[in-house]
Amino acid sequence: MNTDTYIIIPVCNEAKAIGAVVEQLAERFRHIVCVNDGSRDGSAAAIAQTGATLINHPINLGQGAALQTGIAYALLDPAARYFITFDADGQHSAADAEKMLGYVRDKNNEVDIVLGSRFLGSTLNMGTAKRLVLKLAIIFSNLTSGVKLTDAHNGLRVFNRHVAENLDIDMPGYAHASEIIHSIAKQKFKYAELPVTITYSEYAKTKGGQPLLNAVNIAFDVLLHRSSKK
Amino acid sequence: MILIQVILISAFGYFLVRFLASPNSARMGAWKKILAASFSLLATALVLLPETANNIANFVGVGRGADLLLYLLTLAFVFTWLSVYMKSKQDEKRLVQLARKVALLEAKVDQKRK
Repeated sequence: MNTDTYIIIPVCNEAKAIGAVVEQLAERFRHIVCVNDGSRDGSAAAIAQTGATLINHPINLGQGAALQTGIAYALLDPAARYFITFDADGQHSAADAEKMLGYVRDKNNEVDIVLGSRFLGSTLNMGTAKRLVLKLAIIFSNLTSGVKLTDAHNGLRVFNRHVAENLDIDMPGYAHASEIIHSIAKQKFKYAELPVTITYSEYAKTKGGQPLLNAVNIAFDVLLHRSSKK
Repeated sequence: MILIQVILISAFGYFLVRFLASPNSARMGAWKKILAASFSLLATALVLLPETANNIANFVGVGRGADLLLYLLTLAFVFTWLSVYMKSKQDEKRLVQLARKVALLEAKVDQKRK
């Protein structure tokens, strides 16, 4: 059991999937924090039935904000050494998370943050349009951030306390993935990428995730945000 | 390049840079007020002396007074839009911080009860 590690799951309308996701993680991790981001379905009740800690955003604030809330909560525990962000819809595997955690542990202080990459690993059932947008996103990300990655928008990440304390996600929407990458560049976190398996289940597909056109919003927010931060 | 082009482009560039650099500084707030005041003064002057618009327009190199007004209005619009956008982003950020505090407090209270 990884007692020094906190799993942080942003949850928004995932009542059907979240129970199984937590169950799968609970076999390997003691601390699981679900941040319910103003879900309108029974997500809160579904989480309450599991052993996970439930934190309720009073209103929907976006996935980035939910991650930051989960990190803030986990940091309250001085024994928390590692932090894992995990998606609520079941696309990630708990085994991958543990493998990445092992990597950060072994590389003690040589690596601060490990990012999952679906393009290094295997991906099941990804549509062509989605693949194209993600590829474009990574080109954009590599050009603008200076951090070389193969997958810019993977929700599975493992990082140590140093990163958790210095990561200040303040872009509430989906642009947080770019913001985290930007933080890596700015704060010189030592990073690595490991292959992970992403399963686009029928459930995830019917939910559709974020619309592909949202990439435009993200790019705009990222550029404007950066020019205002300098 | 004619005079009006220089004026408009540099004004636009200047405000954009100032704006993105410090969206909510006191200085920016003061500039907004100065701008608003000069726009209303200008508007009043143009109502009283309709020919002035044409004269100014000719002076800076624009054909008609109406065209000059359109250019200035475009500038004002872009400026206003950016201003509102930045403000709303800032409000959103504050709202997030507030809501996070509430969520964490609630979680702490729940834990104590258990």
